Amino acid sequence: MNLKLTRRGVLAAALAGSISFTAGAAFAQEETIKVGVLHSLSGTMAISETTLKDTMLFLIDEQNKKGGVLGKKLEAVVVDPASDWPLFAEKARELISANKVAAVFGCWTSVSRKSVLPVFEELNNILFYPVQYEGEESQRNVFYTGAAPNQQAIPAVDYLMNEEGVERWVLAGTDYVYPQTTNKILAAYLEAKGVAKEDIMVNYTPFGHSDWQTIVTDIKNFGSTGKKTAVVSTINGDANVPFYKELANQGIKAEDIPVVAFSVGEEELAGLDTAPLVGHLTAWNYFQSVDTPENADFIAKWKAYIKNDKRVTNDPMEAHYIGFNMWVKAVEKAGTTDPDAVIDALVGVSVPNLSGGYSTMMPNHHITKPVLIGEIQADGQMETVWETPGVVVGDEWSDYLADSKDLIADWRAPMNCGNFNTASGKCGGKATN
Amino acid sequence: MITQRFLSNGFSPRIQLTLLLLVAVAILVPVLNLALPADNPFHVPTYLVALFGKYLCYALLALALDLVWGYCGILSLGHGAFFSLGGYAMGMYLMRQIGSRGVYANPILPDFMVFLNYRELPWFWLGFDHFWFAALMVMAVPGLLAFVFGWFAFRSRVTGVYLSIITQAMTYALLLAFFRNDMGFGGNNGLTDFKDIVGFPVQAQTTRATLFALSALALALGVVVTAAIVGSKYGKLMIAVRDAEPRTRFLGWRPENVKLFAFTVSAVMAGIAGALYVPQVGIINPGEFAPANSIEVVVWTAVGGRGTIIGPIIGALLVNGAKSWFTGALPELWLFALGGLFIFVTLFLPKGILGLYDQWTGHRRRIRKQEPAPLPGAEVQPAE
Amino acid sequence: MQRRVQHCRQSRSLAVLPLLLAFVIAFLAPAHADEAQVRSIITKFGDAKGFPQIEAVVQELGATGDPVVARSLNALSDGVLHVRKADKQIFILEERGGLRVLDPLSGEAVADAGVARDYTKIRVNNGLRRTIRGVLGSLTLSASDPNARMRAADTLFQTPDPDAIETLDGAIAGESVPAVKMRLQQARAAAVLQSDLPDAQKEEAIALLGGMGDRAALSLLNGFAANAQGDLKSAAEGAADRINTTLAAWDMAQNVWFGLSLGSVLLLAAIGLAITFGVMGVINMAHGEMVMLGAYTTFAVQEAIRAGAPGLFDWSLLIAAPTAFLVAGAVGLAMERGIIRFLYGRPLETLLATWGVSLILQQAVRTIFGPNNREVGNPSWMSGSFELGQLAITWNRLWIVVFALAVFAVLLFVFNRTSWGLHMRAVTQNRRMAASMGIRTPWVDAFTFALGSGIAGIAGVALSQIGNVSPNLGQSYIIDSFMVVVFGGVGNLWGTLVGAMSLGVLNKFLEPYAGAVLGKILVLVLIILFIQKRPRGLFALKGRAVEA
Repeated sequence: MNLKLTRRGVLAAALAGSISFTAGAAFAQEETIKVGVLHSLSGTMAISETTLKDTMLFLIDEQNKKGGVLGKKLEAVVVDPASDWPLFAEKARELISANKVAAVFGCWTSVSRKSVLPVFEELNNILFYPVQYEGEESQRNVFYTGAAPNQQAIPAVDYLMNEEGVERWVLAGTDYVYPQTTNKILAAYLEAKGVAKEDIMVNYTPFGHSDWQTIVTDIKNFGSTGKKTAVVSTINGDANVPFYKELANQGIKAEDIPVVAFSVGEEELAGLDTAPLVGHLTAWNYFQSVDTPENADFIAKWKAYIKNDKRVTNDPMEAHYIGFNMWVKAVEKAGTTDPDAVIDALVGVSVPNLSGGYSTMMPNHHITKPVLIGEIQADGQMETVWETPGVVVGDEWSDYLADSKDLIADWRAPMNCGNFNTASGKCGGKATN
Repeated sequence: MITQRFLSNGFSPRIQLTLLLLVAVAILVPVLNLALPADNPFHVPTYLVALFGKYLCYALLALALDLVWGYCGILSLGHGAFFSLGGYAMGMYLMRQIGSRGVYANPILPDFMVFLNYRELPWFWLGFDHFWFAALMVMAVPGLLAFVFGWFAFRSRVTGVYLSIITQAMTYALLLAFFRNDMGFGGNNGLTDFKDIVGFPVQAQTTRATLFALSALALALGVVVTAAIVGSKYGKLMIAVRDAEPRTRFLGWRPENVKLFAFTVSAVMAGIAGALYVPQVGIINPGEFAPANSIEVVVWTAVGGRGTIIGPIIGALLVNGAKSWFTGALPELWLFALGGLFIFVTLFLPKGILGLYDQWTGHRRRIRKQEPAPLPGAEVQPAE
Repeated sequence: MQRRVQHCRQSRSLAVLPLLLAFVIAFLAPAHADEAQVRSIITKFGDAKGFPQIEAVVQELGATGDPVVARSLNALSDGVLHVRKADKQIFILEERGGLRVLDPLSGEAVADAGVARDYTKIRVNNGLRRTIRGVLGSLTLSASDPNARMRAADTLFQTPDPDAIETLDGAIAGESVPAVKMRLQQARAAAVLQSDLPDAQKEEAIALLGGMGDRAALSLLNGFAANAQGDLKSAAEGAADRINTTLAAWDMAQNVWFGLSLGSVLLLAAIGLAITFGVMGVINMAHGEMVMLGAYTTFAVQEAIRAGAPGLFDWSLLIAAPTAFLVAGAVGLAMERGIIRFLYGRPLETLLATWGVSLILQQAVRTIFGPNNREVGNPSWMSGSFELGQLAITWNRLWIVVFALAVFAVLLFVFNRTSWGLHMRAVTQNRRMAASMGIRTPWVDAFTFALGSGIAGIAGVALSQIGNVSPNLGQSYIIDSFMVVVFGGVGNLWGTLVGAMSLGVLNKFLEPYAGAVLGKILVLVLIILFIQKRPRGLFALKGRAVEA
């Protein structure tokens, strides 16, 4: 009996403890506005996401120097979802329910975003997602500040086709949703442009693939037919270093078979000797080398904040920069941090981006961005060799996939729909079939 | 009749207490969550209901592992695979329940199949629109895999470390397989965006509370089953196999059958845990197959105390509670703390927290009569 | 000229290359333009806007046919050709240890250099680099350097043009180096196939190309066969078939080579584990982190060399290897003394404790070095590749194979020919007996573990040359390592060697058919099945030692 009491007592105390912990967290915060930062600080994704956590702390710090938002200071709540996808959902719930954050900036992989989506929908909060992704999604509570496929992949292919005269294509990617979808879109696009099926080679590799000998040789053989060949790489972060090392060692030069990558930025190149890679391409919406006063200012402040002169900036950082400024502006416009009001206020908000123009939040919750094609330089930076004349609107539902070409998203009243079917005139995808 | 044989010994007070507690929690927490207003100090926020529901599923998984490791000496580094397979079976049912509410509004195909250009449902998705079928598969798939795997492995006397490594190979192979988009399980993104479970919306507070209660009850059932098996004559045989397999064999028993039985039952339990886990966290993806996850389960069990019934439950709750707290409060220190915990427990608490508690309270002797105590180091002799 | 370039931009930039051939023909005997003229053309870079205009200037420079333009074109290609903002003069900038501004023609340093901000870089892209390469190639067909002539011949081979046959005949007649001559003849044959020369000549060309046996020749022959008729068609098809047959054999050889190279990576990763796990029975889950420590040691050594003695860079790996051995060995020793020695006889618990150690090491490295990949450079002797028949063998892979075998040989020697090795084997086979014979088993254990860890560290040095150096490095090798050791058989180094190599080759033979992912899954399934058949691996220790 004695045992029984103590044991139950302990559990009750533990439960009560956690309740009061939560409650305490909820009540004590009247004077600050909390902003959630949901990026992995350990596990496989820490490699990319840690920088974004620092970026958010930096941006919040800068904003507080300017006096915060609505007369209140901002307070960052950092959690570590540890590259564990269900943990993303748990942490998102914790941020929203327990910490009462006004908005969350976070996620990198599509699966982490998919994992937290239902949570944001259920608890009605705001997520800013800063990474390029496969599209095919538009959700009321999510604002996509990274590139959709038409803001990265298609312009890059256009560039190769028009400027480099590429006729044969290798679509190489890591086997997950972003490359699969992007390659499906690209294959459809290329075929629409008259490229024959046998001139397209599609190849998928597992995450963290490290032995590229066979595939690089295949690419070399595929490119030895005399037709100009290029590789469109959607290879994910970790696998890139061995891939590029193998390319360099097998002597595949950019002049012969250029590789255009969508997931390789300054941060990834920092782990590589880029001298043999000069001339290979990347497509992004921002490069550290972009020569504008805003960018110079951003880089200088970032380096001062992080206290490391060697740190680089990259595209997802700019996406957070844009997203954060949009949120600040929308909160000030709405006069409150209430998610519903801010979600409505965000559409149409326009803020300067770092490449010298303005990015606007569109009704489909994607933003307008310029597309830059850059060549890798020996110092690990990119040099812009081509850019779109103006900004490109993110297209959430690809026009090149049969099932999504009739869909549009518009979160303004009266439509308020993420998958409106223009053919059937109904919200909710494809009403037929 | 078998039940009677298994149950004939009755349960120790400790297990009765655990059962009582689990049932109480199953009733109390949903009531406190649903009936009390949010500002009441005894109100349990929905966020915590979901969180503790998840922990309870982990506890059931740890218990399942304990049945094979603590009582039968098989260290499986692949229990995450059974858990995930159960989860996938449930996830497939939940995907089918979405029906035409997916973004493409395809009444048959889940969204990921639509944009990956599937034209029709793969054969292995058939039947998952019925709950009974999915519920059957939740148990049948992990059970069958364990049975086949165990059939071969135990028959050819793969033991000890070798067995651990090939169970790891098994979960790793499944991880890679489920990552492939061509497999038809949603690739890296897995299955998500669930709407309904047997007609109730997954995100509703009442559904969450119900799922929590079900998890607590499932865990209670797991405790009953494990205690019954362990307390039976067959359980004695399992312990004999654990402690001295060759000797048991020479006495005329068939250790491979004993192990196969334990392994299969354990896999089914793990599958059920996975099935309850998925609707509560809202996603199942290949990451769950990661060998590291399975190793973590081993750690929960070791921390709580293996070879006991409530040890793994305590371990799972404690380690996961710590994980939730650390990853929120001290994100950078989380791995240091977890790593340190592993070392500390193996070095200083070979019998886990429960063992320590027993030592302190001096209950050890009394309890030992009813519960077979763990015998550290008995599963594999030193390689000399 | 302008119109020509305009045309060139409109068609694809590839069309530039045949155009270049016109230069080759026109300027076979280079008419040396006077320096002032070249200088005035170079100055045009200052006003060129956008790539088409820059390309026009490049073409114009090429048209002078004067080898003196090579310096400025190379500089442009390397991205160091700059415009001085003040007066639009063109210079080459060098920033090796302070800014040096060079004249684009003479290469002499200019006196008042100013600062880098005074100059604007002339931008260059792939298309431009290709054009420059072509221009330089055409300039160098008559160069004195045989390598330059070889490159020129390559360019001509890649862009067969019937109009170039005459030029080529002249060059072949004057060529003294056999390899270059051969290449020129191949280029000529390629051109002949596209010309309207008599069939007899074409048959000769087909025979010559058929003899080359590589993919470039194959595509030329296939292209020819598609449009040819009669005898020529069948001759070309026959030659193509012969090439295909030899290529199939080379493909086989290539798979074997790739397999051995993957196998030696596995061997390196696993051999330390073969000692700690195989010999001592300790499941060291932190083994991967020892590899990681080795890789980070390489990084640290290279950083130190970059900062202190850049000239030593090519030696960095030779310095890093012993350092990594010591670092990882020391950590291993500390682990053994601090944790593992309390857990002997409980292998499954060492698994947990070492897993904890691996988490701590990972996070420690993440805290110290940051979560990002670190750059580990390849020394020059590990960069690039060479051709062996139709096989491109990269130097880094070759050295890793050599290195892995060397490590294996050294270990074998230590085990079989030294007294320490004798003690180790004695302890492995019968601990109690060894102890009663006066062997200090605890110290043998400690140093064996340190040896295994140190070898893992050395493996890290090699693996840093082909993959990521990140805190996750170890995780990516640990499972594969265990598979190799278990497959090969515990307690036997030969088993590890055979296991690693056969898994590597198996993987590479499956990959072309099943794809990289499915190939790996199949290998895992095969290992699981194999273990059912031989529960103790390929090379099992016999006798009582393993019967637990």
